[in-house]
Amino acid sequence: MGGLQKKKFERGSATNYITRNRARKKLQLSLPDFRRLCILKGIYPHEPKHKKKVNKGSTAPRTFYLLKDIRFLLHEPIVGKFREYKIFVRKLKKAYGKTEWSAVERLRENKPTYKLDHIIKERYPTFIDALRDIDDALCMCFLFSTFARTGKCHVQTIQLCRRLTVEWMNYVIASRSLRKVFLSIKGIYYQAEVMGQLITWVVPYQFSHDHPVDVDYRVMATFTELYTTLLGFVSFRLYSSLNLVYPPKLDSNGESEPKEESEDDYAMNSESYLEKLSALSASLARVVSSADEEEAQLDQFPSEGEDMEKMEAREKELKQQEAQKKLFEGLKFYLNREVPRESLAFVIRCFGGQVSWDKSVCIGSTYDVTDETITHQIIDRPSVGKQYINRYYIQPQWLYDCVNAKILLPVEDYFLGVTLPPHLSPFVEEKEGDYVPPEKLKMMALQRGEKPGNEQEEDEEEEEEEGEQEEEEEQEEDDNGDEEDDEEEVAEEKNLKKMEEQRSQGKSLHVKVTPGKLKVENKARLEQEEKAEEKRLAIMMMKKKEKYLYDKIMFGKKRKVREANKLAAKRKAHDDSEKEKKKKARK
Amino acid sequence: MILTFENLSSNMAAARRLKRVAISQPGFLTLNPKVTPTDLVSSRRKRVNKNKKKNWNKYSDVQDVEEFLEDLVNLKFCFLCEEAAEPVKGKKRKGKSSRPLRIDLILQHDSLVAPPKDVLAYQKPNAKKLRRTAERAEKLAANGVVPRSKKRLLNRTVVDRMSKKTETEANNNPERDFYDIWGQETKDLGEPWYLQQTRKKLVKRPEKLNEKPSVLPAVEVIAPGGSYNPDFFSHQELLREAHEVELKKKKVEDKLERQLAYNKADTATEETILREQVEGLVEESEEEEEKDAPKEDGEEVAVGAIAVADKKTERQRKREKAEKMKEQQRLTERRQTEQQQQLFQLRSIKTSIKQQEETTQIRQKRRKAKEEAQKAQPRRLGKLKFQPQDMEVQLSDELAGSLRQLKPEGSVLMDRFKSLQKRNLIEPRERAKFKRRLKVKYVEKRAFKEIS
Repeated sequence: MGGLQKKKFERGSATNYITRNRARKKLQLSLPDFRRLCILKGIYPHEPKHKKKVNKGSTAPRTFYLLKDIRFLLHEPIVGKFREYKIFVRKLKKAYGKTEWSAVERLRENKPTYKLDHIIKERYPTFIDALRDIDDALCMCFLFSTFARTGKCHVQTIQLCRRLTVEWMNYVIASRSLRKVFLSIKGIYYQAEVMGQLITWVVPYQFSHDHPVDVDYRVMATFTELYTTLLGFVSFRLYSSLNLVYPPKLDSNGESEPKEESEDDYAMNSESYLEKLSALSASLARVVSSADEEEAQLDQFPSEGEDMEKMEAREKELKQQEAQKKLFEGLKFYLNREVPRESLAFVIRCFGGQVSWDKSVCIGSTYDVTDETITHQIIDRPSVGKQYINRYYIQPQWLYDCVNAKILLPVEDYFLGVTLPPHLSPFVEEKEGDYVPPEKLKMMALQRGEKPGNEQEEDEEEEEEEGEQEEEEEQEEDDNGDEEDDEEEVAEEKNLKKMEEQRSQGKSLHVKVTPGKLKVENKARLEQEEKAEEKRLAIMMMKKKEKYLYDKIMFGKKRKVREANKLAAKRKAHDDSEKEKKKKARK
Repeated sequence: MILTFENLSSNMAAARRLKRVAISQPGFLTLNPKVTPTDLVSSRRKRVNKNKKKNWNKYSDVQDVEEFLEDLVNLKFCFLCEEAAEPVKGKKRKGKSSRPLRIDLILQHDSLVAPPKDVLAYQKPNAKKLRRTAERAEKLAANGVVPRSKKRLLNRTVVDRMSKKTETEANNNPERDFYDIWGQETKDLGEPWYLQQTRKKLVKRPEKLNEKPSVLPAVEVIAPGGSYNPDFFSHQELLREAHEVELKKKKVEDKLERQLAYNKADTATEETILREQVEGLVEESEEEEEKDAPKEDGEEVAVGAIAVADKKTERQRKREKAEKMKEQQRLTERRQTEQQQQLFQLRSIKTSIKQQEETTQIRQKRRKAKEEAQKAQPRRLGKLKFQPQDMEVQLSDELAGSLRQLKPEGSVLMDRFKSLQKRNLIEPRERAKFKRRLKVKYVEKRAFKEIS
């Protein structure tokens, strides 16, 4: 066979990839510019399957890009802007060097800039695409908005991030779409459901910044540049979907008007509006002011594939969601100055509560401590000086736990100075047979609207103990308001218990008297037996292979249950030992 | 008069001559109106040589000629404007400049018939209308009504530079506005071909670029043990995980140490050093001999082996060929019988094929599972491997009792950065080291030197 000799690395994967440096040279950009362009356009490096083939026989670790991607980059108008900027910098340097200040000023006025709008449109062709990718954008904006204005990044970027995050929070409040909150040691995780998409973001605690050195700030700033644009467009769309004015305006005829007096001494005029917005205490203005929107009833069309059970389950879920949205409605909160104001105000307003704080803490407080209609005061210190009778003094964790449990939890566990129950992660979903911590079990029982007897006793014991503690404390503080409340509660609970006991006795009698009911039980048992029999037969009828698989699955399940039981036993032992310790300590 | 008196009294011949020349000029005005300029010039005619051209210019009386020429100019040269004519009149300089150019004379209109008057030049179009509008405008102005054109001028927004600046402001401008980018339809500006060629239409983004390089979620929520007030067991679980990570690190470190370890007994003593120094000095000759001896033997053997190979005889070749044929025949026969035998082995063959298929299926499955798992893994994108960040953990005694006392652990910034790396969006990279091109020289300043 004749023909030309085939040369190596002129076909196949070697021609599909391009190294970073070659790509950079092809685009005539410096490395930082190239990196920025790639981030903005969403072009990421690629790991080839056969590195040696791509790398022309060498095994040196290199960064590769797909050649087609780089060709696509060649068409980007922003590349030209980058080059312009490079030249601008060169000219500026020269003007500085020659101390030509007028030239410097002129150059600065004509500084080349670019917009990313077309890139957003290109990368996210539909709104839903953008919404799916909003997690990253939110995290980044919340992070950058907490940065100090120290020159680690551009001050304007920080301001823009702050504005966008405030807009986002206001949207979540207006749409009541917050679902979960988790206070971790790293930051606060939030989850909201916006237009059917679950969106998770993390917000760092305030004042918790030590700037890590091994983070590339330039890369992060580039990502933020893209994400601020994205978030802006998304929030515009979200606002218009709710008929809200964008950029957000405070509702002028709102029932809770922020006080006017303290404005001047709080912030400059130019800043005060954003500050008022970020206070999150007032509602937003709508394009069409609608006094009472009628909730659109969900139409029910049972589709073919679904059966009624699923439909019902979904309906139930919807109802639960509706109930959750109105969780704090009618409650009036007051935040003490030591609690994280922004997070708490956000959470409370997301579920329809009213919130205020001391007017020296932040702008936008709506009522004073002395307001008699306050139902809950959030407090995070061991004791308070003056207490009002008609309000609960609770620790901030109560709010977060309520949100995660989707019901108003009993306030007793969260009273002032009480050891708090653990704050469980709402992001964990236990499968069947997994170990579930007892606190969660209790919460789930509460959700179902019942109180299991055994645990209730425990609860009562604990409550009694706590009650005693509180009594002692209150005696010290010479305030007997809460004590009365507690006594009343204890009395009520006792009554309830008595009634339950009576009921249970009555029930047992009932069973003994009427044989008809016994029959019913028999029927049920028969059914159960039948089912068990069927199952046994089905197992017997299995093929050997299937049987093997089945056994394996069952073994796995049993093992899981066993492990969960072990953990539960361990936990009980732990709790018991703790209790005994407590008792001993008290004695 | 005073001037003339002074001039006269100056007694200088040159001055007198100058005066005479000046007075003889036609436009000269004396201060005393009764005295005519000709009287001032003395009656005695001055003699001059007439054979010099210079004197012709000076002393010949050309006034009457000039007057005549001037008349000509005034009467016939209608195209000369008055302003141009005046200086000519005023100066009345003799010589070439005062005369009309010859070319002008040639171009002169010498027809006796007067040119027809251009009526249109004196008429204004729409004069009546204009007059009326002017009248109306006056009336309106008297009433205080501003005409529309003026109003528009006044209303026109001043193009100030500030507004333009904000328009082209960078995209991190905190006051920038957003619009409905997904709602508005892109309006067609023209032919697609035209748009494409003028680079007004952007190149379509390939679908493949919208795929994410990793299946990991953007925000990975910390384990339940990372709660600020965790459940006992989940906290223990998290601690255990962190412990395992630390153990792994320790193992790697230990391994490295082991590899770098050396036998302590191997350290150099005086004796070994001495031996090393003496090495090769004693028994040198014997060793060399020993080394050389086997070398020579080897060479001889190799040469011998090559020499031994002999040429084959014809007979040998024939026999070899026959043997080869026989062997081939035997093999073909055997193959045939084997194939015949396989007919009876059909069942076992079937089972073996089935087994093979099963194994390939299992392998395929495994490979697929591995690929799936790989999707969630960070890829090797550059020089460095991805290093997961340290786990955020608070020990039992570090846990805060309340939200107020909470000390945040780790940094969200680091978390975000590592997440980007983990999802293959950026390659892990070391910070570029600052390389100084020129050496730095430290010099003590004089003031400093004096003290130290």
